[in-house]
This record gives sequence, structure tokens and C-alpha cells, in this order.
Amino acid sequence: MNKLIIELTINNKKRKVETTPSTRLLDLIRDDLHLTGTKEGCGKGECGACTVIMNGELVASCLILAPQADGAVITTIEGIGDDKCLDPVQEAFIETGAVQCGFCTPGMILAARKLLEENPHPDEEEIKRGISGNLCRCTGYQKIFDAIKLAADRLSSRDGGRSEKNA
Amino acid sequence: MHQRTVPCQYFAPQKIEEALEILSEYGKEIKVIAGGTDLLIQYYDRLYEINDWLDLKNIKELKDIRINKNQMEIGAMVTHTQLEKSEDIKKYFPVLSQAAADIGSPQIRNRGTVGGNIINASPAGDLLAPLMAYDAQFKLLSLQRESLISAEEFFIGPKKTILEPAQLLIQIILPLPPEKTYSCWIKIGKRKALIIATITLALVVEMAEDNKTVKDVKTCLGSVAPTPIEIKEIREKMIGKKFSELDFNQLGQIVEDKISPIDDIRGTREYRKDVAKNIMINALEEIDLARTGRPHNE
Repeated sequence: MNKLIIELTINNKKRKVETTPSTRLLDLIRDDLHLTGTKEGCGKGECGACTVIMNGELVASCLILAPQADGAVITTIEGIGDDKCLDPVQEAFIETGAVQCGFCTPGMILAARKLLEENPHPDEEEIKRGISGNLCRCTGYQKIFDAIKLAADRLSSRDGGRSEKNA
Repeated sequence: MHQRTVPCQYFAPQKIEEALEILSEYGKEIKVIAGGTDLLIQYYDRLYEINDWLDLKNIKELKDIRINKNQMEIGAMVTHTQLEKSEDIKKYFPVLSQAAADIGSPQIRNRGTVGGNIINASPAGDLLAPLMAYDAQFKLLSLQRESLISAEEFFIGPKKTILEPAQLLIQIILPLPPEKTYSCWIKIGKRKALIIATITLALVVEMAEDNKTVKDVKTCLGSVAPTPIEIKEIREKMIGKKFSELDFNQLGQIVEDKISPIDDIRGTREYRKDVAKNIMINALEEIDLARTGRPHNE
């Protein structure tokens, strides 16, 4: 298997990574960059656990080859907040108890972030559609909806700017 | 660990000509990749089996949607999200936009492409019945020649098309429909998101100037045959007739009688036949409502 080097910007850092043409972006993120917040669920693009934001779009990193991401700008769950300062969506998930086992949470939060960026005041149907690519087998979704509504309220009542700055 | 004798190569050219040269050199050995949302699932766990990749992501002209005189030209790398959100597509080809919006999930729609949906040629490909209903032609290019093929000629079986190894699908061309064109899209599946269709219907009706007489009609279905199909018998029953005098039940029955679906995990043959009739009736009612502003026979 021959190697190739790709360059990408991940969580605002430029990285060069040696990889192979058949490596999935998901594996590159987890195994080479050690960003294990991104999870592998089904590996078939159906569960959304591997969701990241690539070039401003929500994508399933299990369905992308590493070289397809050459030159891309990627945000993973590690890139939207830190121990001292969580993203408002993360805070809302914690406060409403929208996290149970936690496996879907990184993808769910990125999907919620992306939804609120495009549509700051989603109704329930729009929330359902926004996270339709992310499965949760614990919560029954209600608390996730509550979290997204809470985050939407907070983001619009604050300056709404934090989500933009970190995007 | 699989040992490969020839090293695997990854090409991502910027120009169509380069892509065609690579394709003619490597032929069947190379896999063309667009969004990868179907391809990578098919090769999940077996990615090492692919020797070489040809990625079209850097070819900018394949990502455009544009109107050229009286036709819409859609690049093969246009994503489902682009189709869903494009104002021009919504205006002229609403069924195509709605079908794109019904595909998979945001994650899938952001990556999956119209060209990929066509080349993959799944009998359940969501865009295929709408493309056929809008008289789509596919522009195929090889180093030697360019050809335009209708959707009807292009698909020859489940996952089978007439595309040759040295050819690339580069563009989808749709004639802009006349003003009084009404359309309806119905997708039936077990859930809304991330579902492979049990049956799809794209009905496009062109009315005459009087807005009462049917001038042309296309009734195209997916997931009911080895390829997307048009029920041509509907034409004889509708063209030249007053829409208000149509027997929707009879038209639904024709659709039911003319399809030959199979039993599979998504539905039985019998179920699909029943549903085909009902969604045809629903689609006709919806078009009548859009046309007159009131329900049929009122």
C-alpha cells in the first residue's frame, strides 16, 4: 500500500498526515490525530456517530476517504469548546440531561450546532430534520430536542456570536 | 493483511480532460468516486480491493447548476443539498428538489451527488424517476467522443447502465418545462430519514394553454422494476383529455397493472402494487388541487 501525505486544517490547526488512499477520514481522525471524540457506530453513514463538520458542512466521516479531505477544514467535537469554556450547545445538553450513554453525543452536538447556525430558531419539525442523520438509542430524543431549544434561546439572547466565532 | 503487488494510486485532477486520460489509461482498474455515499458502503471492509481511485472533487465545472438558453445544465458533482436548495431547481423542477430533500440525511445529502445517484443506478435511486419524468439527458464524455443519452436508454438493469469504462458522466441536461406544468413527488418508505424507497412516483403533467386539457404527461416510478420506468399507457389515457374528466381510479389501476415489482425486505409485490395505485391517485389529486385551487370533482 503506498502512502500519501494530505494536509488539512482540523480544529483550527494545520496538520500534515501520512495516510493511504483507502483510509477513511474517521480512522485518520481517531487513530492518526488521536481525536477520539468522533465515534464509529455503524460505519455505513446511517447513525451519525462519526459526524464532523467539513468545509462548513455536516458529513459522516466514515463515508469519506482521507484523500477526499485533502485541503479541507474540519471541526470535530474537540474543536467547539474546551474544559474552561463549553459551547452553548454543549452546556444545554448537560443541563437538560440530553446525554445518557454519550456515544451519539459528539455527532448530535455537531448536528445541532450546524442546524442552529443555518436556522437560529428551528421549530420541532426542523429540529427533527436537522438531527435526522443522528441516532440516539437512549434518550428517546425528547431531552435532545429540549437541549437544542434551550441552546437556540440562549444563542439568540446572548450575542449569538459565539457559535460564529468557533465555526 | 492483504498484500498488494501494485501500489494503489489516488488521482484528483482539476480538469475533465485529465480525468478522461486517467480513465482511458486505467479503464476498469480504476474506481471513479464522487460523494462516496453509496460506493464506500459497497466497499466497506474491503476498501483494499480497489487498486486505484479517480476522485472528481477538484473539477469545479462539475459542481455548477446553470440555465443555458432553454435548458438546465446540472454538473454531475452537484450534491443533493445543492439540488434541494437551488432556487432555479425549486422553480423549474420542484420534484427533483423535493426528491433530493428526501434522500438520506443532512450528512448524506451534503456528500452524495446527482451523478453518483445516476451511475450507481439502484432501482431505488431517489433522483432517477424525477430525472426521467423531466426528460433528462445525460452527457457522457470519453477521449474520443461526446454523447447525449436519455435516462430511458441509460439504465439497463439493477446497477447496470450503458456507461463504458472510458466514459464519464459529466452533466445532466433538462429542458425547461413550459409554464403550465404541474408535478408531484411521492416517496414511500418505512421512515422519513435514511430509508431506501419502497416505491417512488414522479408525476409531471403539462397542461395546454386553457389549463384544462392535458398536453403531455410523464408517470415515472422507482423501486418497482429493475430500472426506473415510465408508464407510457397513462399518456394515451390523459393526453388531449380534460383534466376534470379524468378517472383517477382507472389511471391508478393502470399504474398498478403495468408495474412488475418484486418481494423484498422493503415490501412485497402485492403491497407495492396496491400502494402504486394509491399514490398515483394521490398525485393526480394533488396536481388537480394545484391547478384549480380546489379538490377534484367539486
